[in-house]
Amino acid sequence: MSALAVLLHKELHATFTSAVAYAVAAVFFLVTGYTFSLTLFFTKVANLTYIFHQMYVLLILLVPIITMRAFAEERKADTLELLLTSPVREVWIVVAKFLAALTLVAGLLAGSSAYAVILGLYGEPDWAPIYGGYLALLLLGGLLVAIGIFTSSLTENQVVAATCALGLGLMLWFADAASYMLPAPLDVVAINLSLIGHFTTFVGGSMFLSDAGYYLTLSLLALFLATRVVMDR
Amino acid sequence: MNESLSPSDPTTAIVSIERVSKRYGRVAAVSDVSLEVRRGEVLGLLGPNGSGKTTLLRMLTGYLAPTAGRLTVAGFDTEREAMQARRHIGYVPESLPLYGHMRVREFLSFIARLRGLSRRAAPAAVDEVIERVRLGDMAAAPIRTLSRGYRQRVAIGQGLVHRPDILVLDEPTNGLDPRQIIETRALIRGLAGERTIIMSSHILGEVEKTADRVAILLRGRLLDLRAMADTPDLEALFLSLT
Repeated sequence: MSALAVLLHKELHATFTSAVAYAVAAVFFLVTGYTFSLTLFFTKVANLTYIFHQMYVLLILLVPIITMRAFAEERKADTLELLLTSPVREVWIVVAKFLAALTLVAGLLAGSSAYAVILGLYGEPDWAPIYGGYLALLLLGGLLVAIGIFTSSLTENQVVAATCALGLGLMLWFADAASYMLPAPLDVVAINLSLIGHFTTFVGGSMFLSDAGYYLTLSLLALFLATRVVMDR
Repeated sequence: MNESLSPSDPTTAIVSIERVSKRYGRVAAVSDVSLEVRRGEVLGLLGPNGSGKTTLLRMLTGYLAPTAGRLTVAGFDTEREAMQARRHIGYVPESLPLYGHMRVREFLSFIARLRGLSRRAAPAAVDEVIERVRLGDMAAAPIRTLSRGYRQRVAIGQGLVHRPDILVLDEPTNGLDPRQIIETRALIRGLAGERTIIMSSHILGEVEKTADRVAILLRGRLLDLRAMADTPDLEALFLSLT
């Protein structure tokens, strides 16, 4: 655990001293703040459903930019060799990078909670969809970070890593569209692979273990694959 | 070959390489190499580019797994007991992998903690190594601003900071100017005796001036292993073997 703490400290330092983190945060808050203000003034309805769906899209687009440097930069600079010849297990290196990127995503979501606070101060929102929405976004963020870490472990080119992560995120988003063309039971598999299907239930205020399990299972799978890639050198 | 390559006396051998091979598909990077390194000596791995020196060092540090054979470091198998083996090794790769955004002291502290030093012990170890590799005036500088010579010192410093028994140096004077080469050689000689040093080089003079023994590699094979004291003309020997 000590090695994990040392690695996490290094990764957090690298994440929060990078201009990428602040550029991503600026875009995230600019877009969500703009949308929040507009929807509040026009609809006068105290809910965040629209904002949550926008954050869902923004995370799919922005998380690959956060994670692209994770391993690609280490490979390019040969510093991965330094880490992998230290008495540290590969899984801790992967987990430290995952937690550091997830911390940034959680920070973005925490910052956006100001919108919920504003609704609470001036209206009477239904809090269940808001809690559910934030939990769904955190789980989604975790999955997208894990996918980004995995694609970054495959290459030393950051743009390639980000593009592949974006592609996987988009494919998961639209996975259910393939169900119309697939025979049973593959159509059910396609529907259940879809990111959005497991997201909307949370935002509706309903929380199912199966939906949380989907995000956690795929996240663990991506982290496992990243660890295997790092081990297989 | 004027030295036995049979298993060594365990009281003196700190590194043991037994019939080690590494293949990449059909290409053999290292073939059936066996040798031992004694505690406190400087062993030079000499060979042209592509002779398998870096691959051999990478297997020793645990970065690469051998296709066949076995390596032990301080009695620990580099595959089965990788974590224990790595604690005994400091490694300075040829490419000088450093985190440019970190400051020198910060980087050395990170490596010290990563290699197992406690939060309490790390600062003293960092101070010690900064003095040893003469980085005092650059300790607060961001690594990306350093010259090649200073970066080399930081790289050697990170290899020493956790006080390993064995220091592995891959082409340690590559890219340095003549003064820096002389200083690096002096540093390596200064470490001899208190630490075991394994260094690779494709430069004859490099090995002649720093090593106690020389292992000559060509196309992944160990051609000779002998004491420098028994090698009055390394150049002639090298030419005769290759």
